Amino acid sequence: MSARRQQLLALGIAAAGIALPFAIPDFRAQIAMLWALVIMAQTWDITGGQTGYNSFGNILFFGVGMYASVVVQRDTGLDYYAALALGMATGAAIAATLAVLLGSMILRMRGHYFAIATLGLGIAAGEIAGGWDYLGAGSGLSPPLFPAPPQTANLFFAYLYFALAALTFAALAALYRTRFGLALNAIRDNEDKAEAMGLRTGLYKITAWTIAAFVLGLTGGAMGNMLGFVDPRDTAFAGATFGVWMVLMAILGGKGTLWGPVLGATVFHITQELLWTHLLGWQRVALGLIIVGIVVFFPQGILGWARTRWPARHEQREQGSGRA
Amino acid sequence: MWKGWAGAVGAAALGASVLAAGHAVAKVEGDTVYLGAAVSLTGKYTTAGEHTQRGYDLAVKAINDAGGITVGGETYRLEVIYYDDESTPARGAQLAERLINQDGVAFMLGPYSSGLTKAIAPVTEQYGVPMVEANGASLQLFNKGYRYLFAVLSTTEQYLASAVALAAELAEREGRDLATLKLAGAFENDPFSQDIRAGVLEDAAKFGIQVVVDDQLPPELNDMAATLAKVKAVRPDILVVSGHSKGAALAIRQVQEMRVDVPMLAITHCDSADVIGKFGAASEYTLCASQWAPTLSYRDDVFGSAADFAVTFEAAYGYVPPYQAAESAAAVLVFADAFERAGTFARDAVRDALAATEMQTFYGNVRFDETGKNIAKPMVLYQIQDGAYVVVAPTRWAASEVRHPTPPWSER
Repeated sequence: MSARRQQLLALGIAAAGIALPFAIPDFRAQIAMLWALVIMAQTWDITGGQTGYNSFGNILFFGVGMYASVVVQRDTGLDYYAALALGMATGAAIAATLAVLLGSMILRMRGHYFAIATLGLGIAAGEIAGGWDYLGAGSGLSPPLFPAPPQTANLFFAYLYFALAALTFAALAALYRTRFGLALNAIRDNEDKAEAMGLRTGLYKITAWTIAAFVLGLTGGAMGNMLGFVDPRDTAFAGATFGVWMVLMAILGGKGTLWGPVLGATVFHITQELLWTHLLGWQRVALGLIIVGIVVFFPQGILGWARTRWPARHEQREQGSGRA
Repeated sequence: MWKGWAGAVGAAALGASVLAAGHAVAKVEGDTVYLGAAVSLTGKYTTAGEHTQRGYDLAVKAINDAGGITVGGETYRLEVIYYDDESTPARGAQLAERLINQDGVAFMLGPYSSGLTKAIAPVTEQYGVPMVEANGASLQLFNKGYRYLFAVLSTTEQYLASAVALAAELAEREGRDLATLKLAGAFENDPFSQDIRAGVLEDAAKFGIQVVVDDQLPPELNDMAATLAKVKAVRPDILVVSGHSKGAALAIRQVQEMRVDVPMLAITHCDSADVIGKFGAASEYTLCASQWAPTLSYRDDVFGSAADFAVTFEAAYGYVPPYQAAESAAAVLVFADAFERAGTFARDAVRDALAATEMQTFYGNVRFDETGKNIAKPMVLYQIQDGAYVVVAPTRWAASEVRHPTPPWSER
């Protein structure tokens, strides 16, 4: 895909992002969720796809953002928007700090060891939040009601998440074109060689994870308000849903690509909304079949499969943008 | 290449139109009025979620079979649009939006559990959609000033209050000083059970009973051996366990396996966990908080008496209805009554009719206070006696004397 076509596609998506909440106003809540899922897939891919470090613990940053935001709203007494903005910023800052601290410890591990170490993070965080009275313990927290009719709230969150998704996409597109992006790919392809060439791999890995944590902190911060209820395991540190989905969506679209996570999240969300709600009780089975199907037939995701299927276009893409 | 993009855009447009078509279902279509419900058909609340759905279905069928409801001189049938909330609040809130916005539902039935109700109530409240719920008992639901939320069930602080009161009464009868009475509790770490805990601790304090164990159980309830080991060591007079259906089954199983001798075991959710069917004699003597019992003397025109409801339910589903099914059915009856009194399907008229509800159902009397909770129906306390649930408290409904204390395992 040439650079011009990528730009056209991005413009088309931007137009859709702006127009959709008005074109189909009844679907604003789902549109907001779609962009939130796109962000989750994008941020997971920074380490999972580009750097080759599969993290199953990114939900930690999402949940931290959610709690921080609602606690700030509860305790500062500011008006709704100011408290939300401050809360999201606080959540992102805490999430990023955690990523630096935890990253400097567990990012030394490689491959499966890293994956397993991260698996515990979300679970541990859920247990801590579930036992901590300041955070409402097992009863969870209720964020303040949005100070406008619900359709306005949905519009607000649809645009907020769209803006955040677009910014994340643009930032990552720019980032992957720099030496930083190349360094991440070098770590993925052969970490020992990268180190031998003088790359400070630890620093790159921690920075990559911190970027993901920062954005996820913002995403979680708004999500608590959008869902209207913060539960330690079911909405904040929801490893079994959002935590698995972010990995699944990135892999579905094609991990290690710029567009893959976006595509994967879109396909996943539309499938879920169109089909799952009508399967009454069988949707988890459907999800299982989809996962098996992806692993068996599209191990490289939709974009990876398309590349193998039409290698000529892939060549063109390589020349056009350096990396797709 | 461009053809490919055209195809993608076409597919997206098609997808959007399919999504948009969903809105065609109006809240009242022909002679059918639609109620919406997100229930737990998968996930940790599957068992109770199914009881909830079956309660709704049975009431809807009974009302429709009896000719439906008469609103403004015309007769209407009821129908429920269901989604599976997967026992997660995040999904529940999204599905409530979907039911209201895309399916055009103007009246909601509640989900199962306080957590899910907490997630859905803000949504229905903001849209001004009346919701009658039957399975969210947490007291915290009723201090938020919600106007569109109505609950037919008794709230959490009442669940095990009668058990604590009963223990105190029995101790007094034996001439024991209440300050020597020891209570051990284990509560799942979820909104409902934590509320139960608050109620139990408050009651214990009221009677001056010492609380010697106060444990939290994780939501992935598979083992409570650590708590029971402590219980064995401190030998309390009462053991209270609350953790939905899984917690009930776990408590009975492990108390038996570990031979924990405790004079009184009080739990919630016995009948929905079918502890008699699963554990037989090992479940004897257990006290169970219940919202309802088939032996109570309430009745209504749709189902007849409480016992009649139990017969109808068992004929349809092959098991005795747990109270979760009964209260869910009652929620539908309350809606039907409000529709008929309102004489219209306008949301606010129905909301006002609901607020003015004063009726008896097979499940109990229903009258809402200004916060929306039902204040006309007490909880009852069952004891498992000779393989059956027998009401032992409060005295007014008691069918039998409580058997106390529970003999040690060596004599059972």
